[in-house]
Amino acid sequence: MILGGRKVAVVGMGGAFPTCSNLTDFSDKLFSNQSLIREWDVAVARNKQVRSTVSGFISEAEMNLEAIYSPLSDTYPEVYIDLLKRIPEINLSTADVGSIWAMLGSLDAIKMAGWTDVETQSEGTGVLVGSGGGGHVIQRNAWHSFFEMGKKSRLAGSHTVDRSMVYRDAANVSCLIKNRGVCESIGSACATGLGNIGYAYRLIAFGLQDRAVAGGVEGTSLETFIGFDAMQILSRGFKPEESSRPFDKDRNGFVCSFGAGIVCLEEYEMAKARGANILAVIDNYFNNSDGDGDMFYPSFAGQKRLWKGLLGDSGIKPDVVKVHGTSTPVGDAIELLSVVDVLGAKDYHISAPKSQFGHMLGAAGAVEFITAVMMLQKQEVLPCLNSDNLNEDLEKFQLTEKWEGSKSPLAAYRDLLPKQSLKKEINSITCLNYGFGGTNSAISISKDNS
Amino acid sequence: MERQEIIDGIVEILKTVRTIDQEKLANITEETDFLTDLNTPSTELINIAAKAEQKFGVEFEDDDIDDLGSTVKDIVDLILRTKERG
Repeated sequence: MILGGRKVAVVGMGGAFPTCSNLTDFSDKLFSNQSLIREWDVAVARNKQVRSTVSGFISEAEMNLEAIYSPLSDTYPEVYIDLLKRIPEINLSTADVGSIWAMLGSLDAIKMAGWTDVETQSEGTGVLVGSGGGGHVIQRNAWHSFFEMGKKSRLAGSHTVDRSMVYRDAANVSCLIKNRGVCESIGSACATGLGNIGYAYRLIAFGLQDRAVAGGVEGTSLETFIGFDAMQILSRGFKPEESSRPFDKDRNGFVCSFGAGIVCLEEYEMAKARGANILAVIDNYFNNSDGDGDMFYPSFAGQKRLWKGLLGDSGIKPDVVKVHGTSTPVGDAIELLSVVDVLGAKDYHISAPKSQFGHMLGAAGAVEFITAVMMLQKQEVLPCLNSDNLNEDLEKFQLTEKWEGSKSPLAAYRDLLPKQSLKKEINSITCLNYGFGGTNSAISISKDNS
Repeated sequence: MERQEIIDGIVEILKTVRTIDQEKLANITEETDFLTDLNTPSTELINIAAKAEQKFGVEFEDDDIDDLGSTVKDIVDLILRTKERG
């Protein structure tokens, strides 16, 4: 069932992006087909403790931040200094590094939106921002002080809760911008970023909020990285810029990356009435679960139901599908085949931004949503970088009796996957993100044609 | 240990608490109140106490922390009292 609701506009964007000084720099690098993935010195320093060493990471210095380390532990950032004085000290004292990125991205997005303090601080403004992981950097040090060093609890300081709680990013943004509406975080693993934007869209569409700051964050954290490294699912054996290679037949895992994506959403008529620059319009958001009891394995049926729920009988046919495309062996194949099962094999293109900056986990859906808005604005499709060779043989699962999808190999869909950015008319883009637990999210955006 | 020596040490600690207006640290006396004079967020008081424990090599009793007032004199007294207790 699709309920009619108010129209929702995207009016502002901001965030933190590996190797990039700002949103324009991010856009310039992506559309010139660059990779933002580097060898990560922090992982390299661990020698054989880690299996993968590439990442789209962001250092403190790159965000003009400086960590003050605790006398308890030389790896415990007790507080951060904002060298450009963008964030007040009182807000920095309650923030881990990801929350600071969320606050910086929110300030940029609100500035782009052109909201006054009256609008930002109203009861009609919500904050919906989440991250995939907990505040691991903060928790690890606090727990080490208590459990391993046997120190009293107070020696870890009084900010371990606010700097590591599940919705710390939303809470810090809310305390900074002083909104009076909703402040919450949606958590859905690697669909978190899109989940928060989708929830914000629904709050506005259904009349519960008029505007929202929404998005996802994943602060640079070796603690997060090693969890995935242990699962043997990270890319290994390629040059950094060639490590993330969605759909390529030699892909062997994703690149664990970090970042933040924040957008400002506003009820369309209100945005229009105040003369806002409308970057895109959200047509619909839909999410579901695989329902097959499998925590990890992607579901062809679940993804097809996702498309059905998103498109309904709207008649929308996207010009571009911004896929999840992580560069994992099974995930990419199932995703490509579910897309072609729904949309056919021509008249649209597939874009895989993770090929350029890796998998930002809880930030992925939000940062990739921003790349979709940029594609609409530039009328240019971002590439599936490194998708050099597609498998000309059938995937193993295509040979099973229960397989109900395409009987063609991935190579049959070469024309859908541009290796370099591609100029074309784009009116509508669908964004897809999935997460552990069998959660699937999709959003459809289009140009403001009115 | 002289009281002024302890006050100087507390000022050094306060210099690391970035939510305190650093200009106000030039005129610290025993009567200075962390909350009303320095506008220190209440969540920082326990951090100041914990750093004082480290700096002066003492460990306060939980009851003493619970009863601790918010002036410089209160923490100087507690440090001296704890040192005397050994």
